[in-house]
Amino acid sequence: MGSDSRFCHVRGRPFLEARDVTKTYQVGAETVYALRDVQFAALQGDFVVINGPSGSGKTTFLNLMSVIDRPTSGDVFIEGQSTSAKSEGQLALLRKTKIGLVFQSFNLIPVLSAAENVEYPLLLQKRPPAERRTRVAAMLSEVGLDALARRRPNELSGGQRQRVAIARALITGPMIVLADEPTANLDSKTGEAVMDLMRRLNEEHCVTFIVVTHDPAVSRYAQRRVRIHDGQLIEEDVGGLASPAS
Amino acid sequence: MGWRLPLRSLWRNRRRTILSLLVIALGTAVSAFVFGFLENSRLQIQQSTVQEYGNLQIASPELWNSKTDGYGYLIAPAAAAQVGGLLAQEPGFRGSTSQLQFPGLLGTGRDTQVIRALGIEPGNPVLDFADHVVAGRGLAPTDTAAVFVGRTLADKLSLSVGSIVMATLTTVHGAYNASPFTVVGIYKYTNAQFEEQVVFIPLAFAQRLLDTDGVDRIVVSLDQIAETSTVAVHLTTGLAASGIALAPRTWDDLSPFYRQLASYFNALFAFLSFAISILVFFIILEVQTLAFLERTREVGTIRALGTTQREVFVLFFAESAWLAALGSASGVAVGALLIAAFNAAKIQWLPPGTIDYFTLGAKIEVGTVLVPFAISFVATLLSALYPAAQASRLRVVDALRVE
Ligand SMILES: Nc1ncnc2c1ncn2[C@@H]1O[C@H](COP(=O)(O)OP(=O)(O)O)[C@@H](O)[C@H]1O
Ligand SMILES: [Mg+2]
Repeated sequence: MGSDSRFCHVRGRPFLEARDVTKTYQVGAETVYALRDVQFAALQGDFVVINGPSGSGKTTFLNLMSVIDRPTSGDVFIEGQSTSAKSEGQLALLRKTKIGLVFQSFNLIPVLSAAENVEYPLLLQKRPPAERRTRVAAMLSEVGLDALARRRPNELSGGQRQRVAIARALITGPMIVLADEPTANLDSKTGEAVMDLMRRLNEEHCVTFIVVTHDPAVSRYAQRRVRIHDGQLIEEDVGGLASPAS
Repeated sequence: MGWRLPLRSLWRNRRRTILSLLVIALGTAVSAFVFGFLENSRLQIQQSTVQEYGNLQIASPELWNSKTDGYGYLIAPAAAAQVGGLLAQEPGFRGSTSQLQFPGLLGTGRDTQVIRALGIEPGNPVLDFADHVVAGRGLAPTDTAAVFVGRTLADKLSLSVGSIVMATLTTVHGAYNASPFTVVGIYKYTNAQFEEQVVFIPLAFAQRLLDTDGVDRIVVSLDQIAETSTVAVHLTTGLAASGIALAPRTWDDLSPFYRQLASYFNALFAFLSFAISILVFFIILEVQTLAFLERTREVGTIRALGTTQREVFVLFFAESAWLAALGSASGVAVGALLIAAFNAAKIQWLPPGTIDYFTLGAKIEVGTVLVPFAISFVATLLSALYPAAQASRLRVVDALRVE
């Protein structure tokens, strides 16, 4: 896995794309524009950091990209395919197979152990038990949690929980991982460790990461930096291929 | 996911789960207990009814319809013999006996009572009441002017074994007749009115007094109560085919009391089951709605990971299915313990209109626990439908924003 990081920076065709995406919310008589005519394309191996203040539309954007919500107008394309006409079931299948999600408050299933949380997406895919066991063990060791596999979420620290969540997002071998403020509930040192981990996995697995954050410190991990302001995305120049460390 | 997630979720909220299980189990146990008690009472009454009436009786439709004008309904010996032949062909046939009833007066020097004299075949095991004796003896085949009277009547007329009483009656031809009788025994019965009105005399002597060789009914005993209606159908066709103008009546037709009681018991149990299932339904509905609401974000998370609406529904429904199964099963166990304790206590009870205490009991068998089990089980499952459907229909983005 580890050494073909060069391959990951090869720009292929975009497999996650937003075209003219607008999202409005009706608040009483008023129409709130959470996103306005957004254009966005994620390429293979991208590590995109989207930075913006609270209320700027980050979560709304991620929800649309991970097809758990539909735009008011415009369309989201996955592997070049429009998602606007897809059924709930087809969207669930896309999420199950192509997309990994990391949440601000980890969102682990409290009654399941660390290993079982990581195993969950494989259960959804109805993978055989032997395959599940080996893949979960490998994934847990990759995020450095082999020793804590049997712990419940409430027996883990915040950083450990987010590692479990990252392992869960990657276990199915998705093309893209979308993370919504993954360090917001962690202290800065733990947050850095989590960002380091995601950056490493991005390189090792050739998985695209889109991380949204309101924490400017996270931006230094970006290989591609985007600002979000008042529902609009503004690409920022990071001067070619940035290295993970500043 | 399978069984793991639902069971773990139940275990995580142990207090709530135990509360739910208690509600379901209590409902099941109460229902099983009441059903077992009613069923036991019904069977006891069924048994005593069959003892009193036989499984079925054969008589003229005229007698059954109470359109009696004189003694036209009596069964002649030739017809009785034909009936005997038909009965002998029935597989479950145990025996039969003939009876001849007539009204009359029974008097001592001081008092007179209206009675119903019942001519029976002494020594016929089908129905000779000899096992109800409390003083003296039952009628014997060699008896002639002997009478076997009830306890209540004996008290009223101050009779004891050996007393002489005078019976006055009308013959089948309308003439008055009278005869002295010797009291050979006193019987007891559960029904005070029966004890006061019915006296037993030998059938042959009754026929002599009434000046007839007929009987008014043939009482039939079968091996099984359950065979009664089949045999009744056979007999109806058999009698019609032989041109005999007689008809059978089954024990439950003969005893309106049993019919009323059985339907009352059914109504009582149906009402109780309904009340319990409504209670279980709404309590579990409330508890599960709350339980699922608390897990809104969990639902949002698993949906975001690609769990379908159907899978969420199944997941949450499975939780209630476990509750239903565990609760109803433990309810059956609690009900069984309750019944065992109740039966062991041997509580005595004097039913209204009766004069003897009888021991209360409750039955426990597959039939009496299956219905309560099914009722609680189904009520719990039904109560889970709505909350599970609600959980599966949550909008993912909204569910994820819930803190
Ligand atoms: N369900 C909703 N109903 C109404 N307004 C909403 C809803 N969700 C988000 N918004 C609004 O959309 C804007 C963007 O929100 P959000 O995407 O959560 O921003 P961020 O994640 O950057 O904090 C905000 O003004 C917010 O109030
Ligand atoms: Mg947000």
